[in-house]
Amino acid sequence: MSTKTLMRFTGVGGQGVLLAGEIFAAAKIKTGGHGLKTATYTSQVRGGPTVVDIQLDDQEIYYPYANDGEIGFMLSVADVSYNTFKSGVKPGGTIVVDPNLVHPTDEDRKMWKIHEIPIITIAKEEVGNVITQSVVALAIANTMMDAIDKQTLIDTMLSKVPAKVHEVNKAAYDLGEKYAKEAMA
Amino acid sequence: MQTREVISTGNQLAAKAAVDAGCMFFGGYPLTPSSEIMHVLSDSLPDKGGVSIQMEDEIAGICSVIGAAMVGQRALTATSGPGMSLKAEQLGLAQMAEVPLVCVNVMRGGPSTGLPTRVAQGDILQAKNPSHGDYKSITLCAGTLAECYTEVVRAFNIADRFMQPVIVLLDETIGHMHGKADIPTAEDVAAGIVPRKRFDGPAEEYFPYDCEHDEPAVLNPMYEGYRYHFTGLHHDKNGYPTEEIETCRKLIQRLEDKVALHEDEVESYEEFMMDDADIMIIAYGSVSLAAKESIRHLRAEGIKAGLFRPITIWPSPATQIKKHTDKIDKVLVVELNIGQYHGEIQRAAARLDIDGLFKVNGRPISPYEIVTKVKEL
Repeated sequence: MSTKTLMRFTGVGGQGVLLAGEIFAAAKIKTGGHGLKTATYTSQVRGGPTVVDIQLDDQEIYYPYANDGEIGFMLSVADVSYNTFKSGVKPGGTIVVDPNLVHPTDEDRKMWKIHEIPIITIAKEEVGNVITQSVVALAIANTMMDAIDKQTLIDTMLSKVPAKVHEVNKAAYDLGEKYAKEAMA
Repeated sequence: MQTREVISTGNQLAAKAAVDAGCMFFGGYPLTPSSEIMHVLSDSLPDKGGVSIQMEDEIAGICSVIGAAMVGQRALTATSGPGMSLKAEQLGLAQMAEVPLVCVNVMRGGPSTGLPTRVAQGDILQAKNPSHGDYKSITLCAGTLAECYTEVVRAFNIADRFMQPVIVLLDETIGHMHGKADIPTAEDVAAGIVPRKRFDGPAEEYFPYDCEHDEPAVLNPMYEGYRYHFTGLHHDKNGYPTEEIETCRKLIQRLEDKVALHEDEVESYEEFMMDDADIMIIAYGSVSLAAKESIRHLRAEGIKAGLFRPITIWPSPATQIKKHTDKIDKVLVVELNIGQYHGEIQRAAARLDIDGLFKVNGRPISPYEIVTKVKEL
């Protein structure tokens, strides 16, 4: 099962973390592989901690959740979800947080490679549309994990958003990629 | 058979299946985690000339479905456990009056309001006997994304064959997971529809409940000139209430026998790596996915485990289960309840030493939990 990529996006209900997972899964399937997105949320749909597990593999995926301790990448835009779900990330794994919303401890920084990227601010101020945060996050995850061919992912993403917002979402992807590369440098 | 690849959730696939199977009516009340079925049908049924209604509650939902079925339409309702509790009385009416319909239950944590957004399989025994009285429930359970489609299609065909409600169980995990499914083409599904039997003779010779001891009623659509009485009371060949001793006995025996004597027509199960297995895991629904993953791990360590997965849950594939449990010593039932199907497996196997791995906190059972349990057997 070495070909498997496991990613986890966490936030609070309503932030749009679900869409990024669907795009990843669909893009992987387009390339002939297997992709599965499974979300878990609370009955407090807006504002409750939400987690999306994304599994990408060349062989058939059975169990739809990421096993705790095996996740290579997590992205979090809410403190409550970060603290609830961080333990699933394997030691040495990568975690991206929005530093305005998530506050990792010193111990966390020893355990995982934590990158701070102000995802919401980038979407709101640089792209100019806060809804594009999920595409900024998508770009960051793919750049850091090298999970899917970039053009396939962008094409899949564009197929899931209305034509009138294609340009703004492309810009969001480019910015996410830029910040991810800077963070890794 | 040709298939098509779709990327979807289980709930969306269940709705798509209803449309492709010729369902023209949905009546229900949106209930987490089943709501997407209604969302999809609200769009797609009107496009086909059908009707999708959000009723005032779950009870009204199934009542409207019974009405649609009685004028000859294929009709669906969808809900979760609390909705099943409310629909129970009407499911009993549909059993007694022999009205074909499909009811999808996307299971969540219970009892009562329970854990609305969390996965569970606590409605297994409820599906067997949702309403009081004697009848033979037919319940199908999807264990893959593709089966959210194929089992709903099969449910409509079975409902029309046996003239009774058919329950399709999904669970929160399988209803909401999003990935690839290879499903039959809409053309193949349409070609596989066997229409309900109808009586074409003179109206005065029409007796809907005058049928063989193991056959369902023949209910012609209402308002087409064939008149009969519709009731939940014990009834005669015309549908009129009666307390005549033999008529009452024969009616209830027939409700049992029309399914019990034709179980081969509804039986369905999957055997996964069972050929050489010396450990038998029994799981259904989304838990079977964790079981398959666990078998990958166990086999890699040289432990010969296999999965038996009932797809038709009621009636259970008891004969096939016993074939295996007569030969295999170590049998483990894994389910997201406190042992509801475990009891049925004990009955089918005629053994009291069947092991169980159960979870009831709204969280899924992971493959590693199954691996650990199997090693302890």
